[in-house]
Amino acid sequence: MAQTHKQKRLSAWSTPVLLIAILLVFTVLITVFGDKSLARMAAQTLIRVTFVVGLWIFVGNSGVVSFGHAGYMAIGAYCSAWLTLKPQMKGLFLPDLWPFLANAEWHVFPAAVASGLLAAFVALLSGAAILRLSGIAASIATFAFLAIIYTVYSSWEGVTGATSSVVGLARYSDQWVTFGWASVTVLAAAWYANSSSGLALRASREDEVAADASGINMYRHRLISLVVSAFFTGVAGALFGHSLGVLNPSSFYLGVTFITLAMLVVGGIGSLTGAVTGVLVLSIIIEALVRMERGMEIGETTLALPTGAQEIIIGIIMILVLILRPAGLTGGRELRLRIGGR
Amino acid sequence: MNAIPQLFFDAMSLGGIYAMAALGIALIFGVMKLVNFAHGEYIAFCVFALIVPSTDAVAVMFLGKAPAFVLIPTLLCVGALVAVGSEFFVFRHMRKATPVAMMISSFALGFVIQNTLLLIYSSRPKAISLWPELNMPIDLIGASIPLLQIIVILTTLIVVVTLALLLKKTRIGLEMRAAAENFTMARLLGVRANVVITGAFALSGALAAAVALIMVTQTGVADVRMGGQIMLVAFIATVIGGLGSLPGAVAAGFLIGAASVILQGFLPLEARPFRDAFLYTLVIVSLLLRPDGLFASNSTKPRV
Amino acid sequence: MSKLGVYDVAVRYGKVPALSDVSFSVEEGERVFISGPNGAGKSSLLKAICGAVPTSHGRIEVDGDVLNGRSPEAIARLGLTMVPEGREIFGTLTVEENLRVGTGIRRDKSAIETDIDEVYQNFSILGERRHANAGALSGGQQQMLAIGRGLMTNPKLMLVDEPSLGLAPNIVDQVYETLVNLQKDRGLTLIIVEQSSARAARVGGRMVLLRGGNVVGDGDAAKFAESDLLKEAYFGQDKSEVPS
Ligand SMILES: Nc1ncnc2c1ncn2[C@@H]1O[C@H](COP(=O)(O)OP(=O)(O)OP(=O)(O)O)[C@@H](O)[C@H]1O
Ligand SMILES: [Mg+2]
Repeated sequence: MAQTHKQKRLSAWSTPVLLIAILLVFTVLITVFGDKSLARMAAQTLIRVTFVVGLWIFVGNSGVVSFGHAGYMAIGAYCSAWLTLKPQMKGLFLPDLWPFLANAEWHVFPAAVASGLLAAFVALLSGAAILRLSGIAASIATFAFLAIIYTVYSSWEGVTGATSSVVGLARYSDQWVTFGWASVTVLAAAWYANSSSGLALRASREDEVAADASGINMYRHRLISLVVSAFFTGVAGALFGHSLGVLNPSSFYLGVTFITLAMLVVGGIGSLTGAVTGVLVLSIIIEALVRMERGMEIGETTLALPTGAQEIIIGIIMILVLILRPAGLTGGRELRLRIGGR
Repeated sequence: MNAIPQLFFDAMSLGGIYAMAALGIALIFGVMKLVNFAHGEYIAFCVFALIVPSTDAVAVMFLGKAPAFVLIPTLLCVGALVAVGSEFFVFRHMRKATPVAMMISSFALGFVIQNTLLLIYSSRPKAISLWPELNMPIDLIGASIPLLQIIVILTTLIVVVTLALLLKKTRIGLEMRAAAENFTMARLLGVRANVVITGAFALSGALAAAVALIMVTQTGVADVRMGGQIMLVAFIATVIGGLGSLPGAVAAGFLIGAASVILQGFLPLEARPFRDAFLYTLVIVSLLLRPDGLFASNSTKPRV
Repeated sequence: MSKLGVYDVAVRYGKVPALSDVSFSVEEGERVFISGPNGAGKSSLLKAICGAVPTSHGRIEVDGDVLNGRSPEAIARLGLTMVPEGREIFGTLTVEENLRVGTGIRRDKSAIETDIDEVYQNFSILGERRHANAGALSGGQQQMLAIGRGLMTNPKLMLVDEPSLGLAPNIVDQVYETLVNLQKDRGLTLIIVEQSSARAARVGGRMVLLRGGNVVGDGDAAKFAESDLLKEAYFGQDKSEVPS
């Protein structure tokens, strides 16, 4: 007997549940067995899960590769800084903020939500323009968008502090908070992918002509997915600021774009499971490499990888995966329980 | 002091650099539909090939010590070799991959090259003085123009004309143009895919080396990040010019050069740091108005 | 040894089979028409022979050399050329440049210029417009150019996919006349996809009939034109179309 419709839906929902369970196991293991630095690494990883799964909501469903999401991340990160920093600090370092922001002293949680909303709003505006393009032209336009955001945030002295870092953000993002947000993002991604908008978008990605003929309004669905996606990347930006306590525009430029795309590609752009897998696998590799860069004692001698080797190795892994397993480690499949049926 | 000729020469020389970089990207896109994000790093690589590998702040000339008639051809070969090498090790294995997958892998390759340079030379920008006498100003139609600007403009012209002749008059040029239009058909007529693609990468790498030489002479620094900036602009020039169109890439390179010089000259002082933001906004606007490029004729079908 | 041998060849696009168990051979200097309804696999067969699509099964030989797994450019070097369906001329190149693209594989470089003149003699319109962009030619002129371009590789075996498609009848006659003459002059082996059995019969030669990816007939074109087999191939019930 084949699965009934209801069983199929349940089966689809098992994906986010299983993924969240994996994240939970990861967080618990590190909290119980790890030291402080590992806990920090776990929080960083879960922020990346939030970001990459957020990115996947757009890229995975629309098939358009975005180089611009680090821009939404920057918008979220700075927004949260504007809302949460102590007014005296802002008066000193960010003197040109509007009075409303200058006097704001929000808690981090509402500020994170507001940051996501601001990023989503900017996505609505920028996406309304960029998503009129398709394919490679759209990808290049997202790149131009990233460059715009970077230029603005690294030059707007009185509002963003330009290239000097903004410091003193509340340390809010421990591994549990970030686990919570990562889980919400995974649920939202699953919800979007199974919504009529997500399904329509994926159908249109397979066959643009057929989708056009069947009257699917690709533009609208792409825009919806970008807005949802930007919300979570914006939140990830806020979480990022509140994990290190320091913000600098260069944290939201090519480096993070590269590493997050690498995660998405290595895990597999085709599936939500791929997005999460990619983050976990690469984060663990990165952590191992960072430790090796610090040096390992083998007998008398200390072996250390030179600094920067990490990026080189990640880049090579990414290229190898693209060559050998173009659909990523998961091959575009979802982790799911089969409920009912044969 | 005459501002208009000054602006003109600034725009032409900046545009010339952009045009050459854009040509390198457009050549490869034309032949194999690869959006090569690693192109900027070919430029950076060539810059650093001029100096002795070390993490010190002061650059010691390596290839840069050689006299110009040795240095220029050698560096062009270095550029060609890096590009051909990257094709051999990476893109050759992706012939059947989608353009998007190739684009992402070129992005990764660029990162690998950049971080390799970082590892060897450190992230500190280094001062190098290559042919400093070229920055000497000379008087021309009432403006004081650095000799180098004139050389850049002439070089661009020479490069563009040489490339045009190469494509128009030589066997490999004919094969490249045929392959750019219809790769499968060209192969059915015996055109060797590997020869054409390697040729395109070699030319593209040599163009990157030319850009590297000019940039170093002009700015006097070697910085690991210098590839990224120029790559972005060149990229945008290729897209605005109509991906894969060589004349389009050249024209768009000059256009962007002119736009950024004009923005720099006429934007209010407090808006000047944001010049690039204005520039990229113009790019998005131009893409929206002409998604196939400013210079695409209406009859050509979209290639992307 | 046959000029061309096709043994048990199968071609599939993803999971969709286009050809299966196709076998036939062609002798040197022969003229063979491939016919069959739309979607029968005629173009797929030609593409498989010239290396444009991979075979999933079977073997193809030219002069005893196995072609499977060779690149199209390597196959072209064995003296095989393809004039594809839809012409596929290089529209941004001039007429003469189109003719020269395929000359890179020739060893007799000295004969290239006389061959170009010969093409211009056969198709005088091409000579008149030699410096025009090929994209500006009419459909029929493009077909002539595609044939001329194929000839410029100095082939021994030429595959032509539907030369008559979209051409006025008198032009089709002219194209066939040229092909037949060339074959006489050069000892070419010709494989031509032609939907019209009447035309094939008039030109004369052998006919291989394809249907649903299989060879369903092989014999003299003139005899085919009179038989029922052809009608059956075109109008007969296809098994796959019978609802099960
Ligand atoms: N690129 C392709 N991808 C998928 N299926 C294809 C492709 N090319 C051909 N086919 C399928 O293979 C089968 C044979 O096609 P082919 O083009 O060889 O037929 P044909 O005999 O040349 O038809 P026609 O007379 O219309 O030219 C058809 O069912 C077709 O749908
Ligand atoms: Mg056909």
